[in-house]
Amino acid sequence: MQSANTETEYVVCINNKDYPASLEIRKIYQTVPDSDAVKHQMIRVIDESGEDYLYPSNYFVLIELPKAVAEVFYLAS
Amino acid sequence: MNFEIIGDITNIEIIAVGNSIRELERLRKTYGSGRWRKLKGFATISLDDRSIYEAELHWYEAHGIGKKEIKLKRFL
Repeated sequence: MQSANTETEYVVCINNKDYPASLEIRKIYQTVPDSDAVKHQMIRVIDESGEDYLYPSNYFVLIELPKAVAEVFYLAS
Repeated sequence: MNFEIIGDITNIEIIAVGNSIRELERLRKTYGSGRWRKLKGFATISLDDRSIYEAELHWYEAHGIGKKEIKLKRFL
């Protein structure tokens, strides 16, 4: 099995204020590295549209997936 | 939203209409039925930390419902 991309991080949405169609609370989303976003307390997330957008960091909690799950998610992305 | 739009959104383009919008069902459930379109444009925005940037924005819009979920795509 192919190794998961170690730069890919996953987050759980804990707040979808103003974005109820784009984000779902309790759902896991994949992030895209973005150093500019971090400077402004934002995070780049692939949302329900399948595209990546900048969202407030406090809408999410970073999670560490078990390796087997991370590999499956990586292959599916 | 953690940013505020200053002035007008310019260079507005339609990027998806109706069934080509992947989250169409979620939009209908949340805001109601309508001829939903996904648009993009450019605007000056002010962030919560008061910094000001030009940015590309994407949002959804339907007649009688208005603009919803204005999302920040990128800083220019």
